[in-house]
Amino acid sequence: MASIGVMDASEMTTRELNALLKKASKTEDLIEITNPGARHNIVVGILDECHIKINGSVGYYSASLLDGPTVDIDGNAGWALGENLMTGRINVSGDVGASVGASMRGGDLFVGGDAGARAGISMKGGTLLVTGNTGFLTGFMMQKGRIVVCGDVGDAVGDSMYEGIIYVGGEYGSLGSDAEVAEIDEDELLDLWSLLDSNGVKSKPDFKKIISSKRLYHFDSLERLELASV
Amino acid sequence: MTNPKSYIFPQRTIDDIHAKADLGRYRIRGFSTSQNVTHFDDLTFLSTGLTRFPLEGYKERCNTKTIIGSRYASTPLSLDTPIYISGMSYGALSANAKTALGRAAAMTGTASCTGDGGMLQSERDASEKLIYQVLPSRYGLNPKHMVQAQAIEIVVGQGAKPGTGGMLMGVKVLDEIAEMRDLPQGIDQRSPARHPDWLGPDDLAMKIEQLREATDWRIPIHVKLGACRVDDDVKLAAKAGADAVVVDSMVAGTGASAEVLLDHSGIPTVPAIVMAREALRDIGLYGTVSLIASGGIRSGADVAKALALGADAVAIGIASLVALNCNREIEGSDFVNEIGVPAGECSHCHTGKCPVGITTQDPKLTKRLDPKSGAERVANFLNAMTMELSLLTRSLGKGNVHSLEPEDLAALTLEASAMARVPLVGTNKVFGEL
Repeated sequence: MASIGVMDASEMTTRELNALLKKASKTEDLIEITNPGARHNIVVGILDECHIKINGSVGYYSASLLDGPTVDIDGNAGWALGENLMTGRINVSGDVGASVGASMRGGDLFVGGDAGARAGISMKGGTLLVTGNTGFLTGFMMQKGRIVVCGDVGDAVGDSMYEGIIYVGGEYGSLGSDAEVAEIDEDELLDLWSLLDSNGVKSKPDFKKIISSKRLYHFDSLERLELASV
Repeated sequence: MTNPKSYIFPQRTIDDIHAKADLGRYRIRGFSTSQNVTHFDDLTFLSTGLTRFPLEGYKERCNTKTIIGSRYASTPLSLDTPIYISGMSYGALSANAKTALGRAAAMTGTASCTGDGGMLQSERDASEKLIYQVLPSRYGLNPKHMVQAQAIEIVVGQGAKPGTGGMLMGVKVLDEIAEMRDLPQGIDQRSPARHPDWLGPDDLAMKIEQLREATDWRIPIHVKLGACRVDDDVKLAAKAGADAVVVDSMVAGTGASAEVLLDHSGIPTVPAIVMAREALRDIGLYGTVSLIASGGIRSGADVAKALALGADAVAIGIASLVALNCNREIEGSDFVNEIGVPAGECSHCHTGKCPVGITTQDPKLTKRLDPKSGAERVANFLNAMTMELSLLTRSLGKGNVHSLEPEDLAALTLEASAMARVPLVGTNKVFGEL
């Protein structure tokens, strides 16, 4: 397997690091980054399949605007990890800040620790799996996809969500506007446990399922010309 | 005996109360504000006489070349005219309209802009220069499309509805449009007002850096603001690292907005430009951060006045749609029967029943707009505006449209003098100055 070896982030600017990564992502299978120093905007806009390992914590917008790569982060991450992920996979071993997986449209995002507020906000596809807890407004304005939180979730979960499903293994603070709890069937539960198992999570939480009530899909009344046919 | 005419309760207000009493909600419409506010018509140019001489109005060279975003971008946006087509979504507009606008921009050496909802491939194919919007909704945002763009515009607010997100009624959220936006078919889409991944100006600085990293610091990053607290907002956007700031005023158009926002929020274009100019000057970035104005630009005269007040470029929305035959009876259309009002009075973009095929997704109606002839009409209009701009510039003795300055203007009203910070005609006094 080809490898570019190790990139020491402390020896280059963010711009140099990302430029080198983009170049390497076209030819290399495995790229390793050391000393990330919790810097923002590391691993941004990589649009090729490759495997990137980051040894340490990263700042805001790490592993964002990606389409293809697998990114392993051994540490914590700041806000908006995995923002607008299209395809590929992101694994972070520790905790992440707010807005993890914001607007992600596909792929898989795994958080080994806790996540902050607005986890999976405006999510449009893919799977966000958090083994710990998440903060308030988890799944805010979610459109599609699946959020799985093994621990507890803060207030206003699923507020204004359109579609998609939020699974909560622990307790939630409160339901958001237009969100409701739905029945979960056995096959769904087995599927979730299988997902956890494949991600190395051995617990089998008794998940609650939260979906949209769909009461905010339409205006309650329309003027004559606003009707589909007049 | 008839009732005396009431200025507080004219017929329009009575009708409005009746409608809300029927509906139980705010009303929605498209087009532009109905407020009569200070605008470019309240300013006039002081052309040459004995103190300075004119250039030949119809012949001598007048430079209209416009460069936007050279602060950090290695490839700034280079336009042949300081007028480009504003962001209007595929969804609000038909595919034929978007394609026509992209083609018209390419024909005149300028740019068009995606709007909300992602990039329409036929607009990309037709455009040479396409500005890619990053909005709070992130509908259809695709990094592979973003890297094809010639500039990025982060939308913080929109002049027609500052402080809120976009709106698209269910009649338009169908098929490809619902799919591109990842929305259920037929929902009344009310887009987010806040970005999902950043909140304040310090976060915005990091967001801008992210977009630069994604595009290799190649293309300019614009920040579009609904013109309200212009002084603070422009300074914060510039400090966050924007290459260009777009101030979109209260008279700017929309395909759909709550009427209460259209008419009762934001400030007009004239003071928005002046405040933005002074804000950039205050922090030493005027001339470094490009200033783009939008809202109610209808003619070359409006463009010239915007540039004289301090803008580097302008963006047009409704005017480009009017050039596409908005509010004009064409072969096959029947405004009164189809939309309930005569051509010239239509502001019903949100209903999806546009009789001329612009703001609709109904295949029967979209057929009425031929993208090729539509593009020619818009290109003609852009060329006419640029000629008007050049003519006025030469009449002021200048050979470059970017040499226009406030000193070239006078105000026709006290209010315009105070807002534009230029003297009232017949005086040497700028009203409102301490």
